[in-house]
Order: sequence, then C-alpha cells, then structure tokens
Amino acid sequence: MTSLLSRSELDRPAAPQPFYLAGSAGPLFCLLQAPAEATPRGALLYLPPFAEEANRSRRMAVLQARRLAARGYAVLLLDPFGTGDSAGSFHEARWEQWRSDADRAAAWLADRWPGTGVALWGLRLGALLAAALAAQAPDRFSRLLFWQPVLRGDQFVAQFLRLRIAAAMAAGEKETGQALRAQLAAGEVLEVAGYELAPELVAAIEALRLEELLASLKGCEIDWLEVTTAAEPALAPASQRLLEEMTRAREPRLSARAVAGEPFWAIQEITLAPSLLDATDALFS
Amino acid sequence: MAAIDDVKQVLGETLQLGDRANGFTADTPLFGAIAEFDSMAVVAVVTALEERFGIFIEDDEIEAEVFATVGSLAAFVDRKLEA
Repeated sequence: MTSLLSRSELDRPAAPQPFYLAGSAGPLFCLLQAPAEATPRGALLYLPPFAEEANRSRRMAVLQARRLAARGYAVLLLDPFGTGDSAGSFHEARWEQWRSDADRAAAWLADRWPGTGVALWGLRLGALLAAALAAQAPDRFSRLLFWQPVLRGDQFVAQFLRLRIAAAMAAGEKETGQALRAQLAAGEVLEVAGYELAPELVAAIEALRLEELLASLKGCEIDWLEVTTAAEPALAPASQRLLEEMTRAREPRLSARAVAGEPFWAIQEITLAPSLLDATDALFS
Repeated sequence: MAAIDDVKQVLGETLQLGDRANGFTADTPLFGAIAEFDSMAVVAVVTALEERFGIFIEDDEIEAEVFATVGSLAAFVDRKLEA
C-alpha cells in the first residue's frame, strides 16, 4: 500500500487537537486540525454520517482534514450529542440537538478565527445536517461540501431498519419492517445494529428532503462529490434527477461529480477512497 | 439465471472480495460462509441490487434462503425482474 501523505503533509505533520466544546446538552468531542498559518484561508466544519457509518468513515474524515489543513484551512471534526466521544447516549440523540450542536461548533470556528468564512462539510446524513443548519440562516454559510449526500430521510431510515431485519435473518429469526415501525409508532426505542433509536429522531430524519432544504439557500456555493465503483464514474441516477431539477430552478451554484472509489462508509474493513480526497483537495486548492 | 454475472459483480464490489468473486459459481455459499457477509453487508447488497436492477426489494423478502448461495440470490433477482 502506497502512502497517501503528500510532501506538504510530511513537512507539516501538525497534530490534531482534541477538545470538548460546551454543547447545550453536554460536552461535545471535537478534533481540530489547524493549519500552520496563523490566519486560515477558510474553516470547515465536518458533520459525520449516521451510526456505524461515522466509525467506518472516520479515517477518511481525519485524512481529508489533514490534507485541507496542509492547504491552509482549519477543519473541525464534530461528534454530535450522543455519538462518538461526546456526552449523551444514542437514544437521547435528537435531530434538533444535532443541528444545535453543529450550530455551536460553527460559531466556535467563527469566534476562533474572526473574519474567516466557515463552510459546512457533510458526509451522507451529515450532508443533510449541513443543509438543515445552512437553511436555518441562509446568509451565514457561503459554502457547503457534500460527500455522497443522503437525498431523502425516509429512504435512509428504511435502509437503516433493514440492518435489523438482516441481523434477525442471521439469527434464524424473522422480523418485518411493519413490526419495527409499529414499535416506533408506539413510542418505543428501537435497537438497530447496536444503536438505540428514539422514535423522535427517526421521525425527524424521515421528514428530511435535501431538495427542500437547498431550495432556501440562495447564493450558497455547493460542491457535491460522490464515489462509485462503476468503471465510468457517474452520479447516481437519483442525484442526477435532483440536480437537473435544481439547475432548472436556478438554485445556488452547484457543481457535482462522481469519482471512482469504494463506498467506504458502508464497508466493515476501514477503506479509503483516494480519488475523493484528491477531488476535495482540488476544490480547496 | 440471467442475473448471475451482475450479482457476482455486486457481491465482489459490495463485500470487497477482489478477485474472489470471479471464482464464484451458483453453488458458492454466501450467508454464514463468507466472513465479510454481515448484516450491514446484506443491506448493502440489497441496496446495490435495487440500484443496479431498478427493482424494489421488500423487507419481508430479506430471507436466509435468498442469501444462501450465489445461485439462490441470482434466482431471486431473476424473479424480481420478471415480476
């Protein structure tokens, strides 16, 4: 395996600084990758994907943060409430809480380097969180970076619940999506793949539509990157449809492309997508 | 089984099997036999099959029999394509 570190990274192996940020519901674990320069060219807040996807993609996020820092950007990696090393249990996590946590982290970056623009960078469900935060205050963020954004919360939840159905299958049992939904509808916490989901969190995620969130974001630059294992990388058909609609509606400047790579957020073995790192570097060169 | 080559490709890509998937036959056992085939992988395979073939797989159809072998999975996809 060849090293993914470029020369500039080897020259400046700045150690990431871990710290806790005071969130409205408890301390939030943050990892700051600061550039060598006293004044960064810009700042990015990374919002992770959901549940196990966050663990599987952590290495990619850290690597990208280091590469962006070598280019003069300050990058903050946030563990929202109830996830990672932050306070709270997963069953206490709520969408509104996560949005508030992201809000605090973005404010921290803006405070730390006044005058430096803060961009939001989200992977999968983290992209929806970035869009949701930006939609709250359309003039606050001038730039969004999406990695493989989730387009519809309901589809995402349906796929997540399948993990439990698949796990039951492995145990020689049988579960139905209907029964799991009935449990949530009854207000019960549902355990899926080791994560305890609160019905409130599930309902909030199911209501999310990337298209709707982006519609309110006039004047915000959006870069959208996807990875695909196809021989000739192309955006997912569902993404293409959404992007065509948005371009027709003259929504914010939006550039989207697909690069060759493995779906690292979904793979058990820690996997990297070097082309995605390169494509992201190019956007912040 | 028209779908078997596509199914092998989806398995190879989704489970990160590299060249191992090329050697798969209809009789190759899957679930419980391949270490990479955990429940997250099952969901990833289901999603990848839906995307590749433009089919919709119901939760109730995620059964051990379907994922028993490469052949049983390909036969399932064929049935979905004919439906």
